[in-house]
Formats: sequence, C-alpha cells, structure tokens
Amino acid sequence: MTPLPKHLDVQAASRDLRLRTLSQIPHPLDRLIYLASMRDYNTGLYHHDGLASRFSEEVACEALADCHREAFRQLLTSSLEDIVNQLQAYMGASRIDPVEFIAAWKDLKPYQVAVPAETVPLSAEFLFSNLRIALAILENRFRMTPPAARCASQPRSLGR
Amino acid sequence: MTPLIIYCAIGVGLLVLLLLAVRRRPSPAEGSAEALLGARHALRTLQLSLLPPELVDRFFARDDLEYVFAAAPKEIQQLFLEERKRIVLAWVSQVRQQIVSLQDFHFGHSRHFVQLSLSSEIVLAWEFAALRMACRAFYLLVYLRGPYGAPQIAGKMAATAARLCAISEKSLAFLTPAESRAIVDDSAHGSAPV
Repeated sequence: MTPLPKHLDVQAASRDLRLRTLSQIPHPLDRLIYLASMRDYNTGLYHHDGLASRFSEEVACEALADCHREAFRQLLTSSLEDIVNQLQAYMGASRIDPVEFIAAWKDLKPYQVAVPAETVPLSAEFLFSNLRIALAILENRFRMTPPAARCASQPRSLGR
Repeated sequence: MTPLIIYCAIGVGLLVLLLLAVRRRPSPAEGSAEALLGARHALRTLQLSLLPPELVDRFFARDDLEYVFAAAPKEIQQLFLEERKRIVLAWVSQVRQQIVSLQDFHFGHSRHFVQLSLSSEIVLAWEFAALRMACRAFYLLVYLRGPYGAPQIAGKMAATAARLCAISEKSLAFLTPAESRAIVDDSAHGSAPV
C-alpha cells in the first residue's frame, strides 16, 4: 500500500483528534487550554501518545498544532458575551473560588502562554484584550453576588 | 592645434565617464528576490491575518458594545472602549504598513515580472493612493471618535484592501506553484496564521 501524502495524513489525524477527543470539549476556550497543555514549552512540539501510535509522532504533532490554531481562531471570532460565558464555565469546572480564580488570571495571565506558535501579535492581543474585559465583567458580577450564591450561578462545562 | 585640443577633451570626457561608471555603486538587481518575498509576506499578512472578514467584523462588532453597555458598569465600559480603540488603531496601522509594502513592490518591481497595461497601472496607483488616504482618515476618526465612530469606512477600507490583494496575488501568482496553491486553498480554513 502506498503511504498517504503527508498533508492527507495530518488531515486524517486531525479528524481523528476532533472525533475522539475534541468533540467531548464543547468550548473553544477549553479546547485551546487543553491543546496548549499538549505542547512541550521547551521545544514547542505537541505530544499525544494515542494519536502518535495511530499515525506517527510527527503527524500527531502537526494535527495537534492544526487543531490548536483552529480553537484559537474560533475563540478569536467569538463574541464577548460568548467569551464571558466560556470563561465562567471554565472557572466553574475548575472548582476554585471564583474570586481567587479571577485574581490569579489577572495576575498571572495564564492565557498568554496558551496561544499557538506563530500567532500574529495583533490577533493574540485582541484575544487577550477580550479576556481582560471578560475577567473584569466576571469580577464585577461575583463581587456583587453573595458567596453562597456563587456556586449556583456557575454553569457547568460538559467537557471537564 | 585645434583638433588636438578636441581629441584631448574627448579623451578626458571618456576618462571621466569611465571613472564614474567604475565608482557607481552596484544597483540592486531589479525585481530582486527580497522584494518578491517582502511582497509575498505583505500579501499573506493582509489576506490571512489582517483582512479575514470574520476578524474585521469582530473588531467592530456592535453586539460586543451593546453587551458591555448592558452588563457592565461605567468603568468596564470605559475599559472596553479603550481596549477596542487600541486594537483598531493597531489594525489600521498594520494594514497601512502592509499596503505600503505592496505598493512599493508594484511600482518598483512588479513590471519586471508582470505585463500591466498603462491604464491598469494608473487604476492601481489611484487605488493604492486612495486606500492609504482612507487608512489615514480612518485612523484619525477612530482616534477622535472611538472604535465605533466610522463603521462604514472600516468596511470599505477592508474591501478595497482585499481587492488590491487580489490584484497583487495575480502579480505574484508565479511564486506559488500549482500544487502548493491547492494545499493552501484546501487548508485555508485550517492553518491560516490568524
């Protein structure tokens, strides 16, 4: 059997990844963070054992990078309201006190390391800007909500 | 005597011309690879990163404005407007910068690769000039009136820039082999460096 051309292999691996894993993670923000966590920060390469065993290490890496860029683009083109809802769902799934979560995200800005490599700076900056505003909106919302009511108001993320 | 003077003058003249020719700095090869790559990069940046309609629509989305004004207090509304203004100003600057790169390529090098008629060149020159002016005017409007001050100009500017990109793409088409063009088209949705 002739091996598939490389880009077709990568497409097949991306489809596989979407079908088996990413379909379980409903929000682009969750997918972005999940896929960023598959990346080795020392090398910039992505690793996924299951995908690598079905295809190859190199093809799995490229498929993960493709899906990472796709999640980034989906989040980038989400409305601000949608981003606020996604962030709130992510926060709810983390089971951390919302006030602590927001403080940590405002200080450490973990989202800054979650963008794919070679992202155009303006696009990254636009997403960071939207996330900063979303955090401000959530902070305001939770500051006005009594602690007992916070848990009840957090939507659950299906993918987590 | 007079012919001798004339011959000497001609000789000196030729010597001066020879010296000037030797001393002249070598001019860059017309249509150099650098200019081509620069133009190609500007085109890709515009098409894939700065002008995708879904991204431009997001910069100026009124639903974001309405949401923030309905759901957030004054200081967050202010933060939102400041952030959007900063992003939009950066966007206009970058579009203008890339358009200038493309224009430089067109007027400096493209004629060595593509045969353009005089009328096409005039139309192109007019379009580039109009777009640069539109960029400046839009920058000023956003600076003075905020990101939602002139939504129609933003749309027209993006459309003109996209049209110029299409013309430039034709000029640079020979740089993209058919096979890789097919792959790029195929994966345009999946791997654009937005």
